[in-house]
Amino acid sequence: MRDQPQKPPESLMRAIARDLRPVRPSPQPFHLALRMVPLALLVSSLILLAIGSRADSGKLGPLLTWGASSAQFALAIALVWIAAHESTPAGRLPRQIVYSVAAAASLVVVLVTLITFSTSSGNPILPVPPRINEILRVSPWIMGLACGIGSTVAGGILVLFFSCVFRNAIATRPSVAGALYGAGAGLAINAGWRIACPFSTPWHALGAHGAAIVATVILGARIGRALGNRRLQIGGTHS
Amino acid sequence: MVRYQGGSVEAFQEIYLQLAPGVRRYLSHLAGRSEIADDLLQETFLQMHRSRAAYNPAYAVRPWLFGLARNVFLMNRRAARRFAIVHESRQDLPEFPVLPEADRLGSQDEIRKCLANLAPDQAEALLLHHEWGFSFEEIAGMLGISAAAARARASRAMADLRMALNTLQRARV
Repeated sequence: MRDQPQKPPESLMRAIARDLRPVRPSPQPFHLALRMVPLALLVSSLILLAIGSRADSGKLGPLLTWGASSAQFALAIALVWIAAHESTPAGRLPRQIVYSVAAAASLVVVLVTLITFSTSSGNPILPVPPRINEILRVSPWIMGLACGIGSTVAGGILVLFFSCVFRNAIATRPSVAGALYGAGAGLAINAGWRIACPFSTPWHALGAHGAAIVATVILGARIGRALGNRRLQIGGTHS
Repeated sequence: MVRYQGGSVEAFQEIYLQLAPGVRRYLSHLAGRSEIADDLLQETFLQMHRSRAAYNPAYAVRPWLFGLARNVFLMNRRAARRFAIVHESRQDLPEFPVLPEADRLGSQDEIRKCLANLAPDQAEALLLHHEWGFSFEEIAGMLGISAAAARARASRAMADLRMALNTLQRARV
């Protein structure tokens, strides 16, 4: 049973003819992910440019400061690469790979937090007047709130940028694709933020910085879903 | 596809003429109802047009378009919440494809009936490979599974199909 080729319906041809401007082909997922690097690097290092690296970075050593952050940043780009694959109808990766990398990213954040805390859990000091440092020592939740909100805002900016790049994406699971680039944004921001923030306690690193990553994942998923719904508005033109 | 991305309407028509019949049958299989396949087909090509910038020439057009058709079907299903109806109506499919490999084992109606009783994910892998000729790597990219899993699904479906047709034949004798 083979169907005979048929000409496209008139209504479809009219819709096509309305917009035939030339478009540039989408880059490959790897190249798309690489294009995100400069801006992700810039936004994630803004906090470092503003307050510098943490006072105990000498004690932590280059591996635990720059090395761990580089690993997180590389994982962030890997997540964006997977999101780009997820957004390509014929290029999806097996679910096991998608979930393994997402799990690996969570594990890396937790492990780096615990190792950092075990290496340097001393009194955090910020480059601010001693009176403010004293307030932060007594009420550490203030710093938690500042880090949580700050890295969520920075991550949100990256998510918005990523969603602009992915606006033409036609993912089968747009929420998953959005969550993946949201996780990438959150992880990239955390890579820079953790070098600047002097608080090593797990409750701060996971409660504030971790919550910011979760927030960017949720934001990415919501934006991805909204973009997917907008793109594939089925049923509006026919019943 | 590259010519079409450059703004050629003739290139779009060529793509449509070559791929629309196969995509329509695929949509008909997914939806289980041929009467909505035409709507979904039109929607698929409309989405292809809107998303033509998202196509990367490194991918083959056919699996990309079939993957897009699958997205359109899934979004339609989500929108209409017709899942239950789709599966209930699978018994009487007018255009359900018949595999050439299974043609000797039973009548077309019997094959359709047995295909409709297979697990949907297995039947999809089987049809994509045997009916539409996609490689297991291409199926993997479309379904978000590994090539080995695609092969296993298709092979399990073929085994189940053979068993079901043999059972029917024995019952006839």
